[in-house]
Amino acid sequence: MIELESLTKTYAEITAVKDLTLQVPPGQIFGFIGPNGAGKTTTIKMLGGILAPSSGRVRICGFDMAKAPEEAKRRIGFIPDRPYLYEKLTAMEFLRFHAELYGVGGNGFKARAEKELDRFSLLDWSNELIEAFSHGMKQRVVMAAALLIDPKVIVVDEPMVGLDPIAIKMVKDLFRNLAAGGAAIFMSTHTLQVAQDLCHRIGVIHRGRLIATGSPEDLMRQAKTTETDLEAVFIRLMEEDSLGIGGVRHG
Amino acid sequence: MGEIVTLLKPRLWSFRARGTAGKRDRRLKLAVLGVIGGLFWAGLFALSLRVLTYFRSVDQLGEMLAHKLLSMVLVTFLSLLIFSSILTLLSKLYLSRDLSLVHATPVPGRKIFLARWLESTVDSSWMVGIYALPFFIAYGIVFRAGPIFYLNLFVNLASLSAIASAVSAMLIMTAVMIVPASRIRTIFVFLTLTFFLILFFAFRLLRPERLVDPEFFETTLVYLQALRAPLPAYLPSTWAFDSFTALISGRILTGLYHDALSLSCVGFLCCLMVLLAESVYFKGVSKTQTAAARLFKRSIGGEFIFSRFTGPRGAMAAKEIRTFFRDQTQWTQLFLIGALIVIYIYNFRVLPLERSPIKTVYLQNLLSFLNMGLAAFVLSALTARFAYPAVSLEREAFWLIRTAPISLKSFLWTKFFIYFLPLLVLTEVLIVATNFLLEVSAFMMVLSTVNVLFMVPGVVALGVGFGAAYPDFTSENPMQSVTSFGGLLFMIVAALFIGAVLVLESGPVYTILMAGFQGRSLTLLQWLWTGASFSASAALCIAALLLPMRYGVRQLETQRD
Repeated sequence: MIELESLTKTYAEITAVKDLTLQVPPGQIFGFIGPNGAGKTTTIKMLGGILAPSSGRVRICGFDMAKAPEEAKRRIGFIPDRPYLYEKLTAMEFLRFHAELYGVGGNGFKARAEKELDRFSLLDWSNELIEAFSHGMKQRVVMAAALLIDPKVIVVDEPMVGLDPIAIKMVKDLFRNLAAGGAAIFMSTHTLQVAQDLCHRIGVIHRGRLIATGSPEDLMRQAKTTETDLEAVFIRLMEEDSLGIGGVRHG
Repeated sequence: MGEIVTLLKPRLWSFRARGTAGKRDRRLKLAVLGVIGGLFWAGLFALSLRVLTYFRSVDQLGEMLAHKLLSMVLVTFLSLLIFSSILTLLSKLYLSRDLSLVHATPVPGRKIFLARWLESTVDSSWMVGIYALPFFIAYGIVFRAGPIFYLNLFVNLASLSAIASAVSAMLIMTAVMIVPASRIRTIFVFLTLTFFLILFFAFRLLRPERLVDPEFFETTLVYLQALRAPLPAYLPSTWAFDSFTALISGRILTGLYHDALSLSCVGFLCCLMVLLAESVYFKGVSKTQTAAARLFKRSIGGEFIFSRFTGPRGAMAAKEIRTFFRDQTQWTQLFLIGALIVIYIYNFRVLPLERSPIKTVYLQNLLSFLNMGLAAFVLSALTARFAYPAVSLEREAFWLIRTAPISLKSFLWTKFFIYFLPLLVLTEVLIVATNFLLEVSAFMMVLSTVNVLFMVPGVVALGVGFGAAYPDFTSENPMQSVTSFGGLLFMIVAALFIGAVLVLESGPVYTILMAGFQGRSLTLLQWLWTGASFSASAALCIAALLLPMRYGVRQLETQRD
């Protein structure tokens, strides 16, 4: 369960995220969409505990990120948009490192790690240094590490960047299965088709403010468009907000 | 030419942008660095002036010595430039992150090469040039050179820099065709260190201290003969030397002839270098893009040891040790440490204590006390090299720590212990081994061993703490972060800490030793003073351990804001 309560982040005179309130219940995939610089990555970073909010609260499975950061983080599988890893470790060593940090490196680690590496087609590469991996392979290592800890919450920034079509399909199916198993998934993306295919609920952020939330169908209704394509809905919402005729709409 | 200038613009713009961002903070850093750099420059100038003035005052031999010194400085200058150029050019031409972006542009490879070469030439030579100036200016003043000497100075420094950079570029381009660029740096540094060590040991084995011994005066004749030996005519430093000496003796045309020799060599080498770059530079870049295979695939017994590292702290320690030993650039550093220990201990072994006019027992204990400071300074240098960049070495992968369920305090203390244990062992080895060689008293042996046990945590914590307070996660070479403002601050604070501990203890230690020599016991007041001094230095060591670590954690936490 993810709860964001009046979350605000300001950098000097710029407000990157303003008064953001939303919940993602277990079993839901929440897509966070918006143009470049809208505040998506800032929100994701606050969710992951990388950035402290200027005001407001982040709660993960009931744990306040400011008061009990370790407990909150223990429940998150965090997948950033750029897979920076320790290049001098092998994939298997990296997974062990990650598992130990999350306190799940004990019995059965090897079998679980091999299962995750196999799932992401990396088993043959498990003993190679990460520095020899392509961007997509590194992204898959990050995903394998995030899933290895059996997270209750998955926070993912641009999940499909750098992945090949087979991996994209696999990740989509995986997220659906994880959500069916009770995980709450918060996903930021530019790829509207991914959001439309995958998300139960979508939030549209523009200039740091959440301007609309709801299912893809709700958003179409809110944007008063007959288009079934999320792209058209998105553009319409952006135009309305820029003209100041939108307001916050919840589906 | 326009494209080359365009390629250089990002560097110029980012330099300008650095000047406007965070003005107050930057001004302060610049002021501190400027003052320290200025003092060092002034010190070099004063020393050069004093030595050259002295040489000039010695009849006949003095001028010969001054000229010999000039030729040696020029050869050293050229060697330093080549060393610096090779390291800078390797990174700039083959290992920079922006290479793929630049090579994707519709700019011919030779122009990309030239832009990078120009940038590297300036990068690798400006500092060497600035710190060579005090000697040359002092030379001009002592020998009353005219303004043309100083103009000539700039021409020669520039041409030597260009020659060194061009020769280095050609060497690197050829070498990259045989060995991957990432390995060349390691091999080169390793070879240079080996060369330096051979030279050092050769010099030490000659026992230069014997030159002050009357029995060995005949070697001076050999030395004088060596002074008269002509310099190799093909070396660019010889042309610079001939040019300087000609101008000093008023032979302007001869001076200009040697300048022309240098400048024509620059032109020739540049043409040759561009031709070589046309044919092999891009091939080398392309070759560097492919990942180098691992040197050692299987670790011997490593897995068994690492399987004992469990839990978050164990995982971090295992990661740190693995990445450290797999990074080939660290291997040369380990080699350097080994050499440093040998040199350090060897120097104590050859100390001619028995010939000293001061009482040997007194001298042994004095040296042992000073040795604590010396070992602590060696420790500071090693901490600066290894522990200070520890946080920066996380680089962009630091998000993993940030999102993991561990506190930054726990993260930083784990880093501390990883570096503390080996550095403690190393410093204790230095202290105990040198004390054995000095044959010090049991009191001094215990004192230095315990003292080091207290000082090492302080110095390492200062390194880790300041490294965390001034991290550089985006640097291409985090090891260089120690040359930044934070690194400098660490060195200053560490030196003050070591100095303060030794000053606090020097009085009581002297009193105890003298009482021992004179066979009397300490008075109550002396006992109280000794107790207070040792307590104060222990308190200082504890403060040096806790405060920088707390500061580092706090500064890392503010990065979340």
